[in-house]
Amino acid sequence: MREIITLARKDLLLLLRDKAGFFFTFFFPLMMAVFFGTIFSGGGDGSRRMSILVVDEDSTEASVKFTEKLGGSEALKVERSGREDAAEMVRLGKRVAYVAVRKGFGEASANMFMGGTPTVELGVDPSRSAEAGMLEGILMQYGGERMQELFSNPALMRQSLSGALDSLTAPGTADFPEKQKITRFLGELKLFASDTGVRSADSGGFPGLTPLRVEKAAVIREETGPRNAYEVSFPQGIVWGMIGCAAAFGISLVMERTRGTLVRLRIAPLSRSQILAGKALACFVVTVLISVALLLVAWLLFGVIPGSVGKLAAAVLSISVAFVGIMMLLSVLGKTERSAGGIGWAALLVMSMIGGGMVPLFIMPGWMQTVSDFSPVKWSIIALEGALWRNFSLVEMMLPCGILLGVGILAFSLGVRAFRWTE
Amino acid sequence: MIRYTNLVRSFGATRALNGLNLEVRTGEIFGLLGPNGAGKSTLINLTAGLLSPDEGEVSIGGNPAGPGGGSRSMLGVAPQALALYDELTAEENLRFFGGLYHLAGRDLSGRVDWTLDFAGLADRRKDRVKTFSGGMKRRLNLAVALIHDPETILLDEPTVGVDPQSRNAIFDSIEKLHRGGRTIVYTTHYMEEAERLCDRVGIIDHGKLLALGTVEDLVGEYGGRSAVVVQTGGRETRIPTDDPVAEMIRLKQERRVRGLRLESPTLESVFLNLTGRHLRD
Ligand SMILES: Nc1ncnc2c1ncn2[C@@H]1O[C@H](COP(=O)(O)OP(=O)(O)OP(=O)(O)O)[C@@H](O)[C@H]1O
Ligand SMILES: [Mg+2]
Repeated sequence: MREIITLARKDLLLLLRDKAGFFFTFFFPLMMAVFFGTIFSGGGDGSRRMSILVVDEDSTEASVKFTEKLGGSEALKVERSGREDAAEMVRLGKRVAYVAVRKGFGEASANMFMGGTPTVELGVDPSRSAEAGMLEGILMQYGGERMQELFSNPALMRQSLSGALDSLTAPGTADFPEKQKITRFLGELKLFASDTGVRSADSGGFPGLTPLRVEKAAVIREETGPRNAYEVSFPQGIVWGMIGCAAAFGISLVMERTRGTLVRLRIAPLSRSQILAGKALACFVVTVLISVALLLVAWLLFGVIPGSVGKLAAAVLSISVAFVGIMMLLSVLGKTERSAGGIGWAALLVMSMIGGGMVPLFIMPGWMQTVSDFSPVKWSIIALEGALWRNFSLVEMMLPCGILLGVGILAFSLGVRAFRWTE
Repeated sequence: MIRYTNLVRSFGATRALNGLNLEVRTGEIFGLLGPNGAGKSTLINLTAGLLSPDEGEVSIGGNPAGPGGGSRSMLGVAPQALALYDELTAEENLRFFGGLYHLAGRDLSGRVDWTLDFAGLADRRKDRVKTFSGGMKRRLNLAVALIHDPETILLDEPTVGVDPQSRNAIFDSIEKLHRGGRTIVYTTHYMEEAERLCDRVGIIDHGKLLALGTVEDLVGEYGGRSAVVVQTGGRETRIPTDDPVAEMIRLKQERRVRGLRLESPTLESVFLNLTGRHLRD
């Protein structure tokens, strides 16, 4: 194993020194992904704000104020909508969440010491629960601010207290053990508010002081398509990276022979399988690195959030295995690095063209989609999309991943058999 | 000891080696002298296990050469075709190949320094090989062969394109290796190199060993007579003789001589006498 690592390390160093190789393995794929993603998202607003819908079912002064506050948030991109539409948009994955301000919100806000808690309903795309947590935090913050405002505005507070006292002392209200005490307390508080003006208050716990209740509504996400164009362009970019990598390492294996270094490796105390395993390991490491790098960029800068990290890892590993095999097979296609490079790139381009590496699969005509079954590029893209946004089940993931692993093993063993050890 | 027995190796219709028998003794510098296409590299490649023989066998220290042989880590080879990573520096090349022989840490660094000194490349150690001149690459190619301090060293025309000064430095180093008990097989078509370096020389042509022995033995046996070359007017006349001194005195008295030169037999004349051809056409 030490020998294989030594060999692989040398190849990584060589790749770093090879500007063209480095360009085609790292920068070109990234450029493709960003370029096509941007074109197809119609310019792209580039903002990373969370898109949500707000439904105001209450239409009171308080509810309007609350929704306006949400709209002013740095972190949110808020659009108004009807309730049905809002739920549907989230279900289709077009928005992250909706916030519905329930009827009675205004009333509950005014009567803060009695009656119900102001309530909003939150419906979130289940695949984006991390963002939902953030949204909930923002909602609570605004709820809290509203209450603080109440405490620092004596007129508002007096009004609220009067309302509460009225409803407590109204004829016909049921008695409860603390009724006397609360009535007296509220009366004194009213007096206090009218005398001095209140700056702050301890919001310790009797009922009615919860600033805002967030009720979560269940949304079942329906699978329809990618949420943004980058979810299509980044899988394509990753496949371009794999192609660049397979070509670069396939050619470098031919170069070991033409430049004579293979002779040195064969003279050294190494087995033939160690020599090839070293090349395969280097190729594998680079394919995984490319995928991780592109996925990180996609996530951090373009909001491409994987549906499942585990499945994404499985996709990346299977694709890497497939392209390591393809690399090995490419290395036997030509005698010189020039012919191997030419034939290799041609084969890879065809593979990519029919496999959806250039034109997205769903745009292709039916017969073409059938032809594309023969391209590992197609299965790579399906595996990546399955984990990113198609929400594939484990069983659904097994088909593309299985095919990719099979392709990798088959191509690798064919390549090893046909590999020419001498000039 | 390296033993070659009835070695035959063909490439298509070409018989590169045609029934060669030879023993290289432990601790000697053995020179393999022959013209282009004689089969020298083929013999080296068979020894290194890069080729397998069609017939006959090669054994190193009693073990058969070849991929399965356990002798590989004791063998250092400088192939005739340069075998270096152009994009790596001299030091990185040496470190990489040293690593393949399980050298690491201080041992490796020590060997890297030693081989760079050996090749006179210490001041270029951090430069990429692609920026080297032809002779420098050749010297590094030789250095890599020695990185793991092998017992048996196969050098296939290691000084082609190397300037005389560096060549002399390399010869000194090779002699040092020799004194350290290493066995060295050295192929060349420069007879001067064979004469200077080698304990014994084998003359090879068309895949066959034509003669074998010390330089002195070979010249004595196959070199033929010395010759005196006389210059009269614009012309040179070559007169073979067994007693060159007497001949020169005679010529000096007889003719109006502008110049006289003595040609003693060399490996070149040995080769000429053995094959009817010059070593370099
Ligand atoms: N891989 C090969 N394929 C075909 N023919 C070969 C091959 N290797 C060597 N030969 C032939 O075998 C013969 C011996 O070649 P070899 O390389 O051993 O000669 P050499 O003595 O090393 O010559 P030089 O001094 O030019 O290096 C030549 O006729 C050559 O053409
Ligand atoms: Mg040769």
